[in-house]
Amino acid sequence: MKGPTSDEAPGNVRLIGGEMLLWSDLGTIGGVTEWRGAALELIRRTIPGRGRVLLVGPHPRALVDDVVARAPSAAVLLRSYPDACALGARHPELEVFCGRLEVLDADEPYDLVLAMDGLLRTHSAEAPAAAWNESLGALAALVAPGGTLVLGVRNDLGVDRFIEARPADRECADDQWAPHGFDPSYPSGPEALDLGLESAGLSLRRCYAAYPDRRAPRSLLSREALAFDLPEALTFPLSARDGDRMLVADPLRLTRLVFRHRLGEELAPLWLAVATKAPLPADRPHPADEARPADQLQPADQPQPADQPQPADRPRAVELPLGLIEEGPALYELTPGGMRRLPGGEERPIPAGRVVEEILVEACAREDVRTVRELLAGLAEWIEAGGDVSAATDSLVYDGERFAAVNPPVGLAVMPGPKVVLCRILWRFAVRLLAAGHHHPWPWPLEADQLTLTLCGMAGRPCEPGDLDRARKLDAELGQPAELTEHAPTYRDLLAARDRLADQLTAALARISRLETKLSYRERELVRAKAKLRRTQRKATAYRRTLGYRLSRRLARPRKVARRVFRMLSG
Amino acid sequence: MDESNHWYGHSRILGTYCGLSDEAPKRIQGFLQHGWNYLHGFPPNDHWCSPGYPRFVWSDVLRRRGWSMGRRGHYLIGAPWIYLLYLEPELGVQPDREGTIWYPFHGWEKHSVSGDHARLADEIRDVEIGPVTICLYWLEYANPDIRRSYESRGFRVICHGERGSRWEGKGRDFLRKQLVELRRHRRVASNRLGSALFYGASVGCEVAVYGDPMQFEDERPEYGGTARRMRLWPELHGTHVDRELAAEVARRELGFEYQATPEELRRMFGWKRVRTA
Repeated sequence: MKGPTSDEAPGNVRLIGGEMLLWSDLGTIGGVTEWRGAALELIRRTIPGRGRVLLVGPHPRALVDDVVARAPSAAVLLRSYPDACALGARHPELEVFCGRLEVLDADEPYDLVLAMDGLLRTHSAEAPAAAWNESLGALAALVAPGGTLVLGVRNDLGVDRFIEARPADRECADDQWAPHGFDPSYPSGPEALDLGLESAGLSLRRCYAAYPDRRAPRSLLSREALAFDLPEALTFPLSARDGDRMLVADPLRLTRLVFRHRLGEELAPLWLAVATKAPLPADRPHPADEARPADQLQPADQPQPADQPQPADRPRAVELPLGLIEEGPALYELTPGGMRRLPGGEERPIPAGRVVEEILVEACAREDVRTVRELLAGLAEWIEAGGDVSAATDSLVYDGERFAAVNPPVGLAVMPGPKVVLCRILWRFAVRLLAAGHHHPWPWPLEADQLTLTLCGMAGRPCEPGDLDRARKLDAELGQPAELTEHAPTYRDLLAARDRLADQLTAALARISRLETKLSYRERELVRAKAKLRRTQRKATAYRRTLGYRLSRRLARPRKVARRVFRMLSG
Repeated sequence: MDESNHWYGHSRILGTYCGLSDEAPKRIQGFLQHGWNYLHGFPPNDHWCSPGYPRFVWSDVLRRRGWSMGRRGHYLIGAPWIYLLYLEPELGVQPDREGTIWYPFHGWEKHSVSGDHARLADEIRDVEIGPVTICLYWLEYANPDIRRSYESRGFRVICHGERGSRWEGKGRDFLRKQLVELRRHRRVASNRLGSALFYGASVGCEVAVYGDPMQFEDERPEYGGTARRMRLWPELHGTHVDRELAAEVARRELGFEYQATPEELRRMFGWKRVRTA
């Protein structure tokens, strides 16, 4: 392979030193933090109407394209030469720097600096890795006075970290020439992050906790929102399972505990800090405006502070959202009174209550079949009364009286019957229950299909296998697979499966032994009955041979003949 | 499965509830609790309840206790009695109920109880005001001495019959007969808490527990004896017991809240042929 030279690079790519010629961050190793809708929405709100934007480090292509399209003037810093060339070729108007962050000497600072992938991939193999605070210092130097920095920081104690069976940054992969985790300046918590930003001359405007995973964050929840007891309908979907990694445990339960213990900020997989650099004294905004947080989560029953009129001579302070939540293709903004779908959706309150799946799993753990029966019967009534056909136990909440779907209903071309809808919900629950290895009271059958039919029976709506087939089709049509088959099993799953198999084996052996005993007993009974029969037959034969029997037969015969003749004559 | 599943016509009642004929009750794949019990629904020596088969118990306390004693696979369906009440809401209902039906604690085919029936009969005569019906287990009913000790005091002596089995229809109407008798009496009483008392309380009888509780010849210590029953249900002992309270305890002990649906029972009992992988 011919080594690339600066002659081959597109004209807008500038090599600044430390560039990695034979390296790409877009490959599978490590992978770029896969920001999507929530991050795009946040950037759209922070991007200045006029001014310069710099993207530091690798970002997903869709995000880069969006920024380039929106920003009046944009530049990108990448360490990988091939990535820089590809980007430069794709966006000829874009200024692309290729090299290490610490040596970037910008002519003019930027009004918005986006380093959402963090600082680790701004280091180059060409130089010893800089400490995190040094890199942050270099980054902060690129922010113009009054400008904004959006920085992603992966949490070393994130909830996704301590369930990894193989820690991701100890794999001796190609990008770990200086493995992460030994840098004392790396933030050891939200407070350390705040201090780090402060000492770099930046002031934090809002810090978001990104969930469910540091590689593919889907939801951003601000520190202010996390201080509240968030409803289950909001927090339940915030745990995801990455298919290709071996985990120690299912993240669902752990993530639920994190929120219940109000540690959502401390144990977030990733933080996204939005910080600003103080403006030059001439255009410093009013001190009162600085002191006031952009907005605060208000309980729904409290009056919200009226918007204060902004003086005309100052730029409008950007309203940062309390939280942004992606659910499939939909994006929602968390508001003080609830959630609203973006763009332009109506604000609606987040339904209260517990997630139905959790109630059922808990009832199963306690073998509380009564609760299961009552809840399923209630669910069946809800569906028959026109409940959402696309609902599932993992996307429904129940407040003790009413069911409410967390997600807006999905429109279907052909509306299925309530029986099929219920069957699909219960099938999905059965699959998830068995896949997660939760304890349950049903002795048999142990497969999801039969369990579904039992559950339908418990709801008082018996279903046939035909309904189940239609339910499975409906599930496929709705496109939310109950279980991702490519999931690697977690370590706890494996242990639980082993224990379960051992229990089943013990039970099966006990049943076989019982049936053997019964069989021997029945065989003995059969032998006895046969012997009795044979004895009776022998007795009967002996009886037939007796003189008395034969005589009585002989004597009976002439009488029979006489009777026949008499009948003939009289007839 | 086990013979006790078919005692007192239990399997037939459940079969009728599930829409099956009660002529030839099907085998229940599991073990049905056949009487009220304050251990785990089964006798202490329940080695015949093989693991891997469910134990169909009446109330959650039995499940919890059983679990703590190493038993698994409980499934709560409530007592067969509640299914009988569901099927026969009107059977034997009388506007004017009178008298007391008295169930002296009984032994069974393999264990007899020791106690003085004559002394007990005297005590009953002293306490009860209206007519008294004594209901004996068939073993005691067959004993003329025991019958005489009650009959001589003017009591009517009856027997609900043998508990029967899967193959013979003897016990098939046991609970039905009991229901009719309970619904014609105002009071139900015994010298020990037992199924009959809770059955009575569940159909509106007043409850009383008094008299010599009598002893099994080798009563198992696991139950904790009469003293434990007194500690657990002090409110149910005495010649006069709060009727509402007794009905509430009966509802709990008989598991009225755990009534399963017919389809569920068919599947749990293995009465529905299913494909197994």
